[in-house]
Amino acid sequence: MEQNLQYFLIPFLSWEMMLLIWVGVFAGIWVGAIPGLSVTMAASLLISFTFSWDLNSALALICGVFVGGVYGGAITAILLNIPGAPAAIATGIEGYPLAQRGEAGKAIGLCTTVSVFASFVGILVLSVAAPVIANFSLKFSPRDFFLLAVMGILLIGSIGGGDPIKGITAGAVGVLLSMVGMDPSTGELRYTFGNIYLMAGISFVTAMIGLFGVSEALIQFRNAGKKSPKQNLDRIIPNWATFLKYLPLSIRSSLLGVFIGALPGTGGDVAALLAYDQAKRTVRNPSRPFGTGAYEGIVAPETANKGAIGGAFIPMLTLGIPGDAVTAIIIGALYIHGLKPGPMLMIETPHLFWMIVSCLSIASVALMVLGLVSVKPFAKIIEIPKEIIMPVVIILSVIGTYAIQNSVVDIFYMIGFGIIGYFLRLYGYATGPMVLGLILGPMLDANYRRAMQGAENQILPFLEGFVTNPISLFLTLSIVFLVVSQTSFYRRWRGLE
Amino acid sequence: MRKLGLALALLVLASGAACAAYPEKNIQGYIMWGAGGAMDNVSRAIVPIAQEHLGKTVILQNRTGATGAIATTFVANQPADGYSILFGAENPNLYKVTGLSQIDYDQFEPVFLMMANVGVVIVSKDSPYTSYKELIDAAASGKTITMGSTGPGGLPYVATTMIEKIHNVKFNKMQFDGEGPCITALMGGHIDAVAVGLLAAANFIHSGNVKGLAMISSERIESVASVPAVTEIYEEYRPYLPWGAFFGAFVRKETPAEALDALRSAFTKAFQDPRFDEFARTMGGVKLGIAGEEAKKYIRQNQSVAAWLLYDAGGAKFSPEEFGIERPQGK
Repeated sequence: MEQNLQYFLIPFLSWEMMLLIWVGVFAGIWVGAIPGLSVTMAASLLISFTFSWDLNSALALICGVFVGGVYGGAITAILLNIPGAPAAIATGIEGYPLAQRGEAGKAIGLCTTVSVFASFVGILVLSVAAPVIANFSLKFSPRDFFLLAVMGILLIGSIGGGDPIKGITAGAVGVLLSMVGMDPSTGELRYTFGNIYLMAGISFVTAMIGLFGVSEALIQFRNAGKKSPKQNLDRIIPNWATFLKYLPLSIRSSLLGVFIGALPGTGGDVAALLAYDQAKRTVRNPSRPFGTGAYEGIVAPETANKGAIGGAFIPMLTLGIPGDAVTAIIIGALYIHGLKPGPMLMIETPHLFWMIVSCLSIASVALMVLGLVSVKPFAKIIEIPKEIIMPVVIILSVIGTYAIQNSVVDIFYMIGFGIIGYFLRLYGYATGPMVLGLILGPMLDANYRRAMQGAENQILPFLEGFVTNPISLFLTLSIVFLVVSQTSFYRRWRGLE
Repeated sequence: MRKLGLALALLVLASGAACAAYPEKNIQGYIMWGAGGAMDNVSRAIVPIAQEHLGKTVILQNRTGATGAIATTFVANQPADGYSILFGAENPNLYKVTGLSQIDYDQFEPVFLMMANVGVVIVSKDSPYTSYKELIDAAASGKTITMGSTGPGGLPYVATTMIEKIHNVKFNKMQFDGEGPCITALMGGHIDAVAVGLLAAANFIHSGNVKGLAMISSERIESVASVPAVTEIYEEYRPYLPWGAFFGAFVRKETPAEALDALRSAFTKAFQDPRFDEFARTMGGVKLGIAGEEAKKYIRQNQSVAAWLLYDAGGAKFSPEEFGIERPQGK
């Protein structure tokens, strides 16, 4: 116990590590916020950049960037309606209307506060229950991942921000597009029309940059000349009463986030989506109707995706299995520095676990300070005339796309998606569902195939599994509930109509 | 006269640009398997050291799918200028006979082969099978055993085919994105057993999360000395050995010699670096460190063993003969 405390104190005793964490959080916030740049890309570049550094310093910087980056995506979602990451789509749906009313300061302030809270929840669970949760998450079979993906797909309509049918249509197109490329099991080419660039599939990152950033920029050109709403920046930091009001929701959503983050392969994106839907169902009297600027609609997804940070470290540190894309990259960093990520990690290098817990904690504190301090400068960004901001967004999107893999073809894709996104939005379709469809499609496809293979391609055993396995049963019933609760029969029964 | 002068000036400028030393910009590295697997680990261990000698960054990305065919095809379609490196394993050797792809290592020049990887059959720590014989007997008695796979042509797939052929049994296969996810699924009880490379399994065997039932090799491996060599239990494996995976860096055949030499030199130095040595030792892989003609010979030999094994067992769509792959000696 004492040993662990010593390990926990390592970053506190090294001014270099402290500095790196704070620098990392600051840099991460900007990387997450800038359309076109993503946390995954930043982490990837950092690994090479810090190769010759001391491991502790490298980890301190990476943890900082991770925490800051996940937060940064919400900023531009709220201010510019351009989510910096899929995890911030829901945040943007509620946050942008708030910014239009001049409440960007309050929105970001609340977002920061609950984010820090959720981050600590994730870290707490990581410290206390990591091995237990890791072992439980192993029990998730391919069928369960398939069910999670189905749940995600069902919820796509609800984040359409308007007409659910249009949301589902956009989501369906996203899933269809995710099928382009090589079949994951057999290598058969699907919808590639002989074009080798399509053979690698459609990268959702490029599509996202186009569908969010560029399409928003194009749409805003129609608003050029309109005055941007003046922001009220008097009270940014929420008072105690406000914080306590949203506390139950924060706790629920962050725990959901920790758990989803702990599942190998799923991270903040899915967590935020599920949490947002959960909020819509469970909050009786939102501050405003959902979709028009409900604060609950910011609290839920943001706490979920911060909880997912701590969650992603759970399988990574206990079993060497990445909980999400960034932790997969961190595993690479550990190998490079001569460590052995895997079940032996905590046994052979116990200081690592507590040191990371400590770095994440310090990063969360840094987030609180830097996040709040940045509110005023960020809010001022909205007041910059659209004619200046939007072209900058387009330029950054091009740079960010090229930075992914030095491919000019990607830029064309991105612009193509931007134009598609513009027309979609012109006709009332939202772009968020399409991006989510691109992410969930492969999860749906590969896990369905595995579940069938597990049942030896026989229909009956396959279907049986949905009710005999306890986890699958729970998820199946949840999905049934999700569907039934939308029908008028149910709504009348509950007196909601 | 003026035009001639202008043309000459342009020519000098152009050739000046062409003479600029490789590498002038960052290099893209494409790893054909997923994060956390053996291929990924080896690549991410050697590249940071190699790039110290190159002077530019090699940006690594995982481009998974179709048993590595997506990455192979992708790099084969990039310009042959030495700025796209394929980090590949032994899987492309089987693309032609399985019909997965027409593009394999024939279109590439091996820069360097870093390591070799031996297969080991593992089960979860709670498995009812405590010995290799028990597993085989269960399969032979008609019980459904689900083996993990990483796709047609992957090490688990070929190993499973070998086992099916020798013992005349059939396994049910479940497919994942790499050996890492296979081991995760094994620990969760979603598959019964899997044959993976030792590089991916070593840590899990040491921690006791999985049990090694047999090494697909004719002798025990030092780092997991408690796992019996399969030939100790069943002599019938001997004609197929040695066999296993390998991990290397490849560039397109037409890559200019200047780039190839620079890469080769950087990787050779990285290979000899004590940091990589340490990694190889802890991971339990077999260091190869070959390049050029020797590497090509090694790859051809590996291909002939695997391709004919697969074909004889009925797992191949096309005969290796159609592609000029010779039968391995004495089999």
